[in-house]
Amino acid sequence: MTELPTDNSLWGGEPDSPLVAAVHLSVRDLVRRRFAASGLDWDAFVAGPIDEVITKDDLAAIDAAVLATGHRYAFSATISAVERPEAYQGLAALEGGFAHPDAPSAPPDPDGKALCGVGDNVVQAAADIVGVARYVRSAAQVIALMEAGVPDGSIAIIDDSGGTLTAPILDRFAGLVCAGGTVRSHLGILAREHGIPCLMNVRLAGVVDGDRIRLETTAAARTADSYLTGTDMPARIWKLP
Amino acid sequence: MTETAPSARSAIRYAQLLETNQLIQACGDSSYWLCLTRTVQGSKLYPVSAYILLSYLNAFYRYPSLIRKVEAVMPAEAIADRARQMGVKAQNSSIGWALPCFYLLGREYLINLGFLRPQDAIEDVITVMDFWKRFQLSWHRNDGHLTNADYNQRAQILPHAAVQRFAGETHKVTPGDALSVAAQRFLATVSQYGFLVSAESRISLTNSGPYRLDADRQLLIRDFMDLGETSLPWLDDIAADMPFNNLTVAMEVTGCHFHLVDDWGSFEATPEFTPDRLTGIGLYTSDTLSEGHVPVGMDSPDTLAAMLHDLADRAKAATDKLWLRMAGWSRDQLIDAGALCYYAICKEIAHIAGVFDPADWLEIDPRAERFRPLLSDEYADSALGELVGSLTLPSQQTAPHGMMKWSDKATRVMTPLPLSVLNGAPFLPRVAPPMPGGSHLPPKNDRYRTTRGVLSLAQYNAAARGFVPASCRPDENFRCETARAYPGAQP
Repeated sequence: MTELPTDNSLWGGEPDSPLVAAVHLSVRDLVRRRFAASGLDWDAFVAGPIDEVITKDDLAAIDAAVLATGHRYAFSATISAVERPEAYQGLAALEGGFAHPDAPSAPPDPDGKALCGVGDNVVQAAADIVGVARYVRSAAQVIALMEAGVPDGSIAIIDDSGGTLTAPILDRFAGLVCAGGTVRSHLGILAREHGIPCLMNVRLAGVVDGDRIRLETTAAARTADSYLTGTDMPARIWKLP
Repeated sequence: MTETAPSARSAIRYAQLLETNQLIQACGDSSYWLCLTRTVQGSKLYPVSAYILLSYLNAFYRYPSLIRKVEAVMPAEAIADRARQMGVKAQNSSIGWALPCFYLLGREYLINLGFLRPQDAIEDVITVMDFWKRFQLSWHRNDGHLTNADYNQRAQILPHAAVQRFAGETHKVTPGDALSVAAQRFLATVSQYGFLVSAESRISLTNSGPYRLDADRQLLIRDFMDLGETSLPWLDDIAADMPFNNLTVAMEVTGCHFHLVDDWGSFEATPEFTPDRLTGIGLYTSDTLSEGHVPVGMDSPDTLAAMLHDLADRAKAATDKLWLRMAGWSRDQLIDAGALCYYAICKEIAHIAGVFDPADWLEIDPRAERFRPLLSDEYADSALGELVGSLTLPSQQTAPHGMMKWSDKATRVMTPLPLSVLNGAPFLPRVAPPMPGGSHLPPKNDRYRTTRGVLSLAQYNAAARGFVPASCRPDENFRCETARAYPGAQP
């Protein structure tokens, strides 16, 4: 087998991710085959026709080979699964509410208040906030809320730590609950700027659209040091009767 | 793929390699710390990791040639002199980190895909790192460091006189008063708009400073950049009503200390910077055609409050329109917007030099484009995570005794140039100049919002080439700031 100069790493292994490892091995194998077929030395090969001998179609074939194994990609952007449903896991993952396996839970207290989630508080407030849970997980939902308006007292429950999916309506929510990111993510920054109570990095289960929930925004704001040291500073979420 | 080496291979010197490798290591250390502590953003709208990897590839194939094109007109250190007088995308996050790191991360990715050896494109690497070093030395000349990280996460970029000016011109703010309300609404709304303009990234806003005003007050400078119908094609028409492309906010803050302003322009304060701690504010615009920072609505607190509300209204309207435009885009269009926004983060060097060309900055090079089919969400998320976070790609492993700056692992982010080239090991000097590329987005229109009105590209470039701000003329640029001059010793 032809050896590439790039096969000679002194200390390297393979990537952690099986998918990354498979793709990179395939790409390097492609380069190796084309290099051998070229009859050139490496300098001349890289300096010469590599753009022609390794094409977009060649690399698309590697994507096809991954899919031929039965693997289906997890999607992060909704558009990816919408455009290539045959290549991505289904959009059903966005239906319904969060059901994080590590969400805390407890039986309802005498007032009917039940612990159902925990997250990182962005800004410590003088009082907790109570509102109505409203999942916002797709562009279609955002457009509907742009047209109909966000009902007063809504607490958005969202996946994105980036904050662009909800950009046109973000400032109309009474509170924010985000399943990802940290207090320093874009959404955390925006929540702080807008003065909207917000919990990031939330683990939540058992809350559906329309449920009344309470966010413990009186909890201490999570600090940078706590992230570096891995120290939890939990702010709780309760489902109310 | 390559152009002929313009210089003899023997021209590569040992000291040159040593210096370049030190700069590469500094960029790698900085990148790791930033990526570890700032967090990756998740997005349901944008395939963020996919566009980031594509931008790195585009940067690798194109930055060296574009830097040479810019430096044929204006050297890096002079560009930084201009940049220091403005709030444009030629600052810590854009040049201080992204320019070298996007390029080097593209190189690292290609090494791991088997497309490059560490010694390939060696002259390109030296060109990029040398440009970066000279820019940074000039950009940071007032604080004497190369990066914010070197300065314990601080960025005192401005000269004393500029700080005095900002501090003296701010209008006082009292929590809850009209100017305070307007300021908070403006900061929140324009931040939100900036994240959207920049395809989910924070590259439209940055902070620098802090500057000590007295024992209890500090000045933080925040810049909002590329807000108007200027160089980002997806803002064509959408941002026609934004009267300024760049806005600088001088913020006097009382009762908290900014203990961190990093090379991405993010800050942290102790105690936290909450709205009630904002006690003074000033608003300015600037670009490569302005005499520094030009006040905006600064006649009185009332006019400033009105201006802030007006700009917030315009940003909100543009946000809604832009979001609807983006929500209708295909995946390829979303990837192109993100990749080009990232890749073109340092395009301002071309505006400053008066050589901006959309074909240089707003196209995906075919050599990068061919990788698009690989960039599924899952692969891109994992590959990017390994490249900048877990450092688990083969090229990033070092000898077992190694201990990285920010961890005890035997890893590094970026591969150094091998010294074996000095023993005659073969290397490829350069990759070829930009190849004609493309984009799935509509081409940029010929409207460029500047401080001199809306110009065509030809007018904008010509005006930039013909303009030297007073602050950059030698008598001012090289004025002594460390001692009063003897009478007659300085003009």
